[in-house]
Amino acid sequence: MTNTTGELQIDGVTKRFGPLKAIDRVTLRIPAGRFVTLLGPSGCGKTTLLRMIAGFYEPDEGAISLDGTRIDHLPPHQRSTAMVFQDYALFPHMTVRENIGYGLRLANVSRAEIERRVDTILDFMGLNGLGDRWPNQLSGGQQQRVALARALIIEPKVLLLDEPLSNLDANFRERMRWELRSLQQRLKITFLYVTHDQSEALAMSDWVAVMNAGRVEQWGTPREIYHAPRGAFVATFIGTANLREVRVMRRENGQAVIALAEHTISVPVSDSSSLGDKALLCVRPELITISRACQDESRVNLRGRVIRYAFLGHITRYWVEAAGEEWIIDQPDQGPSEQPYEGDVTLSFLPQQAHLITEA
Amino acid sequence: MRKALREPSLVLALLIVAILLLAFVIYPQVRVVVLPGFEGYVEFLAGRSWVRPLINSLQITVLGTTTATLLGFIYAYSMVYSQMRWKPFFRLVGLLPLMSPPFVVAASYILLFGPRGIISYHIFGQSPNVLGLGGLWGVQTIAFFPFAYQLIADVLSRSDPRLEQAAHNLGAGHWQVFRTVTLPLVRPGLLSATLMTAIYIVEDFGNPALIGGRYTVLSTQAYGLITGFGDLPGAAAVSTILLLIALVLYLIRLRLEGRRSYVTVTGRTGSIPRPPVPKIVSRLCFVACLVLAILILLVYGVLIVSALVVSFPNNMNFTLENFAYVGAHATSLRNTLVYAGAAAIFSGLLAVLMGYLVQRRNWPGRRVVDFIAIMPAAVPGIFFGIGYAAAFNQPAFDWLDRGALITISFIFWNIPIGYQATMGGLQQIDRSIDEAATSLGASSMRSLRDILFPMLNSAFLTGAVTTFVRAVTTLSVVIFLFTPRTTTATITIFQLVNDFNWGGATAFTVAVIGMAILVLALVWFISGRRGGFRGIQPGGV
Repeated sequence: MTNTTGELQIDGVTKRFGPLKAIDRVTLRIPAGRFVTLLGPSGCGKTTLLRMIAGFYEPDEGAISLDGTRIDHLPPHQRSTAMVFQDYALFPHMTVRENIGYGLRLANVSRAEIERRVDTILDFMGLNGLGDRWPNQLSGGQQQRVALARALIIEPKVLLLDEPLSNLDANFRERMRWELRSLQQRLKITFLYVTHDQSEALAMSDWVAVMNAGRVEQWGTPREIYHAPRGAFVATFIGTANLREVRVMRRENGQAVIALAEHTISVPVSDSSSLGDKALLCVRPELITISRACQDESRVNLRGRVIRYAFLGHITRYWVEAAGEEWIIDQPDQGPSEQPYEGDVTLSFLPQQAHLITEA
Repeated sequence: MRKALREPSLVLALLIVAILLLAFVIYPQVRVVVLPGFEGYVEFLAGRSWVRPLINSLQITVLGTTTATLLGFIYAYSMVYSQMRWKPFFRLVGLLPLMSPPFVVAASYILLFGPRGIISYHIFGQSPNVLGLGGLWGVQTIAFFPFAYQLIADVLSRSDPRLEQAAHNLGAGHWQVFRTVTLPLVRPGLLSATLMTAIYIVEDFGNPALIGGRYTVLSTQAYGLITGFGDLPGAAAVSTILLLIALVLYLIRLRLEGRRSYVTVTGRTGSIPRPPVPKIVSRLCFVACLVLAILILLVYGVLIVSALVVSFPNNMNFTLENFAYVGAHATSLRNTLVYAGAAAIFSGLLAVLMGYLVQRRNWPGRRVVDFIAIMPAAVPGIFFGIGYAAAFNQPAFDWLDRGALITISFIFWNIPIGYQATMGGLQQIDRSIDEAATSLGASSMRSLRDILFPMLNSAFLTGAVTTFVRAVTTLSVVIFLFTPRTTTATITIFQLVNDFNWGGATAFTVAVIGMAILVLALVWFISGRRGGFRGIQPGGV
């Protein structure tokens, strides 16, 4: 079953707080039934955007529509959206059952029907036997599930989630990612998820909108935004990147020929129209190998010197000076007997794995 | 604003609040201030009859505040810092004065220290003349040090023990810690408590009326001008001067607390114990508190004894006859219960609604409403009473039941307490709680009713309980509003004292205090012993 309702359209929305533009002419189409994440550093406007969709803020300009109907003029309680809050916002004076049933009570659903549906969702969320507890008697993860159940029971077209995992401890957070993802897959409801945690965004989302300073910097699948960042901000905000300013020498059939140190290399360009004389070469640390000797000709080889390294468990991270600049290289760890590199080394990477950021 | 307009119930609530504040806070007060007219003020000020009372008011305020705050500080320091014994007992005794009209202290004082006083005459064989400054000073000290104690104890208990521990850890001795860490931290709070005590004393009417004698202060002058000369404009001018003094003190206090006094209301650091004070200090604290507690118990004990004997202190034979007055004036006791009870409930509810509208909703004018809501805290009771008399004792308002009017005056005179408690409570409740409710489909008013109101019940209780206590114990607010049919308990006591009917007055006082304690105990049990008794402020002024 694919869901055809729950498509959000955000058109040229601007929101100001005093002189500050929290959201600056954002246009986005959030497809129905998908897991979409708004990702960005704190203060980038992602929560503001989410709250405008929920109805807690009003846009100063632009329109927000749900399935073709404008909703930006409606008060929050008349929109078909439900929100899960960072601190869960469970009502402390109501039991789990009362919390979950509250939305149905507001909709004047009969008491018997509320009981039945609360039972169903308690079961669905794995909260059996907790119905008569008070929120302060629950663990963080349980509260989280109650908050989800409370929002889902009113069958919203869009579920809005505001950093719901940030209050959980690290191990549990990882598990909840999968629970949230599979919940969305089972329900086929549009999930709009806000986070500043890139690994959460990459792990869970169908689509990610990377935001910065009130604008959407890039919209794409997790793989696209990681491997083909459209700007320096996205490249450095998502993961770690070696960014090198390079001179573009010429273009030939979808490739750009650039100069890097003494090398002339050609790298693929997706959008050659915006290619100027200068560009940024982006190479992810895990795509570079470090070795004593030069690698084969298909790779770009750079002579360098290890400045320092750090053992991080699954990898060793090296800082290497090569071609007059500092490079970061992540090498998978080879086991207990591995000796880290020191002194003179060679860095190498495949040019087709590098990405050229065409912005000046 | 556009957003608010989409919810008609919200707009309606705003309108109702605005109209109520305009009618029952702004209008009566403006009425007093403009009553004398420009020429009236010129004439009045030229007459200079106000100079002596003004000087007296300031004098008794400075003297009374100094001693009351000092004693209050000793009591509070002992309760918060020392390891003395009997703390629960001292706490209870410290609460007692909050339940009674402060002016009964004047009555007790006369019975204890007056010309035929049990201590002055029967123990020391003296017949001092207590009417005047000396007596009034003593009375105000005893009457208001328990309030100063409550305020100061609250300030002291909010100071963070971890800072004191850190100072000890760095090698400071107890006295050094107190002088260099504790005092500088609580100084603004102490000053604010002192100012509040000063406001209570400068506004007080009952004690100067009973024991001031020829020592007239502004509040008694205003009363005298109305009752003696029917000079309402003159009284209005005098009480406007009084209002200005109180307002200045209050504004300094607000400024001192950074305007948002409730921010720290619940910053109680519960579990960490304070570093112990030297044993000798604890012992001294114990002695000091014992003396003060005995003083308080004497004040109320003498009332009870006087109520139970034929003629205190000359004929100490036991009798219940004095309680016949309670029966004879049952109407006033019943009126007090009804007016204060109704005022408590409505004042609490209105305070929560106003707190919600101001703190949670964004609309033009909310700052104005915020100011109006806390203003009555600075308004002297006598001014408030004259305001209601001037505003509503007109043929145009004959339809308004006098009992209802008294109730309304209680509601709005006491709105600041519940309002500030609500503001404090709302700051503790994350906005996401009400947003969660609205995102599930609740309108603003529905989420206030279902979610916030139950969570604010302790703020509501604080507002309601304090309103009740202050309404039961106030004299000055009702003294210009009551009619024979709508008289209240404090009026009856005041009249009995003025008739030198000590037996009747004391019996009635005991009955009133008993009733107040009974009601409060009932509320306490019904509310699941949740309290709300913390923020009680004195009435009777």
